[in-house]
Amino acid sequence: MTPKDLHSVITTPVSRRAMLKRASEIGFMGAAAPLALNLASMGDAAAATAPGDDYKALVCVFLYGGNDHPNTLIPFDKVNHARYMGIRGGVSFQRKDLTATALVPAGKQVLTDDLQYAFAPYLPRLKVLFDGGKLAPLLNVGSLITPITRAQFDGSNRALYPLPPKLFSHNDQQTYWQALGSEGSTVGWGGRIGDFALSSNDQALLTCISASGNAVFVSGDKALQYQISPSGAIPVKAIQKLEYGTPAISEALHQLITAQSGNAFENELGIIARRSIEMEGIVNGALSKVELKTNFDSVPGENSLADQLKIVARLIGARKELGSRRQVFFVSLDGFDHHSNLSQKHNELMSKVDEAIAAFYVATVEIGVQRDVTTFTASDFGRTLVNNGDGSDHGWGSHHFIIGGAVHGGKYYGTAPHVSATTDDQVGQGRLLPSTSIDQYAATLAHWFGVPASEMATVLPNIGNFQGRNIGFL
Amino acid sequence: MKPQANRPTTLAAITDAEAARFLHRAKFGATPEDIAAVKAQGYGPWLDTQFKSPRGMSGAAWLDSQGHNAVTKEAEYFNPTAGDFMIWNQLLAQPDEMRQRCAFSLSQFFVISLNPIDGFWPPYIMAAWWNVLLDEAFGNFRALLEKVTLNAGMGMYLNTKGNLKEDAKTGREPDENYAREIMQLFTIGLYELNPDGTERRDANGKPVETYVQADVTSLAHVFTGYDHDMSRVKFQRVAWQNYPVLSTEFTSDPMRFEPKNHSNRPVTFLGTNIPQGTPGPDALKIALDRLFMHPNVGPFFCRQMIQRLVTSNPSPAYIKRAADAFNDNGAGVRGDLKTVWRAILLDPEALAAANAKDPTAGKLREPVQRILGWARTVGFDPGDGKYKIYNLSREDQGIGQSPLRSASVFNFFRPGYVPPHTAIAKAGKQAPEFQITNETSVAGYINFLQTALRHGNWQFKPTYLALKPIAHDAPAIVQWFNLHLAANQLSPATCTLIETALATKGLTEASPDNEKLDMIAAACLLVMSAPEYLVQK
Repeated sequence: MTPKDLHSVITTPVSRRAMLKRASEIGFMGAAAPLALNLASMGDAAAATAPGDDYKALVCVFLYGGNDHPNTLIPFDKVNHARYMGIRGGVSFQRKDLTATALVPAGKQVLTDDLQYAFAPYLPRLKVLFDGGKLAPLLNVGSLITPITRAQFDGSNRALYPLPPKLFSHNDQQTYWQALGSEGSTVGWGGRIGDFALSSNDQALLTCISASGNAVFVSGDKALQYQISPSGAIPVKAIQKLEYGTPAISEALHQLITAQSGNAFENELGIIARRSIEMEGIVNGALSKVELKTNFDSVPGENSLADQLKIVARLIGARKELGSRRQVFFVSLDGFDHHSNLSQKHNELMSKVDEAIAAFYVATVEIGVQRDVTTFTASDFGRTLVNNGDGSDHGWGSHHFIIGGAVHGGKYYGTAPHVSATTDDQVGQGRLLPSTSIDQYAATLAHWFGVPASEMATVLPNIGNFQGRNIGFL
Repeated sequence: MKPQANRPTTLAAITDAEAARFLHRAKFGATPEDIAAVKAQGYGPWLDTQFKSPRGMSGAAWLDSQGHNAVTKEAEYFNPTAGDFMIWNQLLAQPDEMRQRCAFSLSQFFVISLNPIDGFWPPYIMAAWWNVLLDEAFGNFRALLEKVTLNAGMGMYLNTKGNLKEDAKTGREPDENYAREIMQLFTIGLYELNPDGTERRDANGKPVETYVQADVTSLAHVFTGYDHDMSRVKFQRVAWQNYPVLSTEFTSDPMRFEPKNHSNRPVTFLGTNIPQGTPGPDALKIALDRLFMHPNVGPFFCRQMIQRLVTSNPSPAYIKRAADAFNDNGAGVRGDLKTVWRAILLDPEALAAANAKDPTAGKLREPVQRILGWARTVGFDPGDGKYKIYNLSREDQGIGQSPLRSASVFNFFRPGYVPPHTAIAKAGKQAPEFQITNETSVAGYINFLQTALRHGNWQFKPTYLALKPIAHDAPAIVQWFNLHLAANQLSPATCTLIETALATKGLTEASPDNEKLDMIAAACLLVMSAPEYLVQK
């Protein structure tokens, strides 16, 4: 990095005004314009999938650290914006900064307290997707075992009104979002959905794929997580050729690292190495035939989420070669735990989410599978509406987005919470009491993916506790 | 405690393999000299020698010596990468190796990461943090907890720095980050524990939570009023920017308390009351004492230290013996860390011969430990001495782990991680290091070794001095690596497989040096890729 970069990016806190000014100079809608153009020109022309091209994929975008939902989907109408400013203090957006990303839902949808929302100013591309009906926000969704009211939450009858384990704790709530259990869980709901698809795919191992690190979300009762790097599958080079070895040494290496053992740790290393080596040739062979024109790097700076979504797009592009018909993917972005310096850091991450998700959608259009691929966001928890000076603290319910050609977008789902730190739809400091459960969110996605209604309770054991298994966004 | 723990040392002579096995826990490497010292002194006395051995050069002194304190228009004072060079130098080269090993274990319990550290002098922030861990590695947990709390880097990482009291006008409330993590991660954990580390259960068989959100919200007030201490900092005006450059003292001085920014509200947490208006330093003492005295700390902390040094699945009895040592060092002192390390390393369960029939014995060596053990054992030439080893966290291009570079305060892996679909899971066991092990990392690691074992990294080169004279003798080099890197864990069949393959190199005593190095590196690659080496038993 050059000193100038260091100066501007790392050190001097860039004021929000300066960032907004810079953003308006490059032109936010200008930045999003190519996307709008792409959608218009490629959109429905390529949408018709070829006969026999039976394909569906779910893509979970996990925002690690607990995304600050109040500065992601922001109250915009005058009354509610004033409430938001009053509670958020120094970590809020001015109304004038939100006009370009203010949302007008289809069908004159009326929300709680006549709320109108705007996206964070750093989500211009997602606004294009919302306006085009390809993106739906789901309001106040979070971890629940049963529906619960504020009074029941405050009460002590945990037999009738159980709470998810360790609310507000990062690792436990990450695990709850992914596996509906606490840390140490070994089966996630993405993996359970994948269990139903194993026989649909020529390579069963390519059913549940993480392009991020190990994630319990994509581990099923039967389905295994396959992990892939943004650059594709990684070959063990020395088993092919070791420049300071011999063919016999390469062969011995292959034998050693894939050997079975009576020790479970050793044996597991061998199993992982075998999977790695066997799939590498197959996966990279298929990927080498996929060329995507979509630009995943339209914004300066590294974007690991865009890198991950690009390899997912390429794998989807290689679906026929690989014989993949039903897939569940996991990607992630770190760094959302904004206890401080929220205004600057959250904006930077929003830009990455915007660039990555929009590019991924465009790539699905390019491949012709935008109606077959549904992307959705998840995160540890939402955050407090109350500020702690220059950041926010761990919350519970949050707002999330579903993106794709099959999404009935351009309008909201779920129930909008009051903009308040005192109402009964929050449990203190504006920590939202979820009005929709992860289970309902997941069931809607699983239904679209093809999980039969009779099996929904296998995937989501608590789904029976909730009214309405299909929220309708797909 | 002590006489009993020492007993095995007096029962029978220590073998080379036993000494190496012990050294792989107490340090990183096991050189022939190390092995000889352990055999000559016995385990207990050898530990006492380490506890008394002199400190190496501090991270800050090393950064100074390398010119990383220079104030030039290149603005290196903002560049974090020398923080990586600093920690690699500490772990690879400083002579107080056991202290470094213990500090590395502590750095995975009290976690801060260079990743988000910004502003002036990130390398010095990390050096000061590392120094806190080294200072108290053989000290006391209570003193360590206070130094951790007031450390400048921890202040940045978990937001005690700049944490302000409530303000009705703006609706501001104190930041809860440190209050939560000091309980969840640094002292007591989520659930009440028995002395042997098992979870206590209530009448309905449910685990008992140690705290609730209200405890966090209240305790947060204690950590208000702190900020970096600028009292010794000099502000240097420079021509190339319109604000001054700070000198580094704020990175190592404990954070300063400012009464006007401290909340005077009464605090109630874990049943302890801190009255309204209690001065900040007094409130901090009450809070830290309350946490330190909680009966969870011993088993919670000791289990994780055992996992770092010895085994992923210690028995409850082992945890209890270590926790007992934490609770009382025999002289009525709680939290004496020398006693804890001694108890962990000399426990009968640790020293008993590895049970070959136990399918979940041992732990996966973490990637950083593999590299450090290798380098410290085979020897190296640091070349220009700059230790330009960068962040190795990437699984595809690095080793999937880098010291002081955890992705979050939850460390590289969780102590309770269970790898799905494995015999480990079926046996109800845990394997933390498997959280960073997957199809990419196993390949990336071997690819990294392929280059590093032969050519080093940057100017850092392995020397293999002890191996060059025997390079033509395949069984001899395999035997050397097996003992020094793997404590003779490689089975005879594995050794034969490796020897047979190496023999195809056709090396003789007269072969040139570069061919000998090829042979040695190939042998080392086979050993360090072998699961029988990777799992430390």
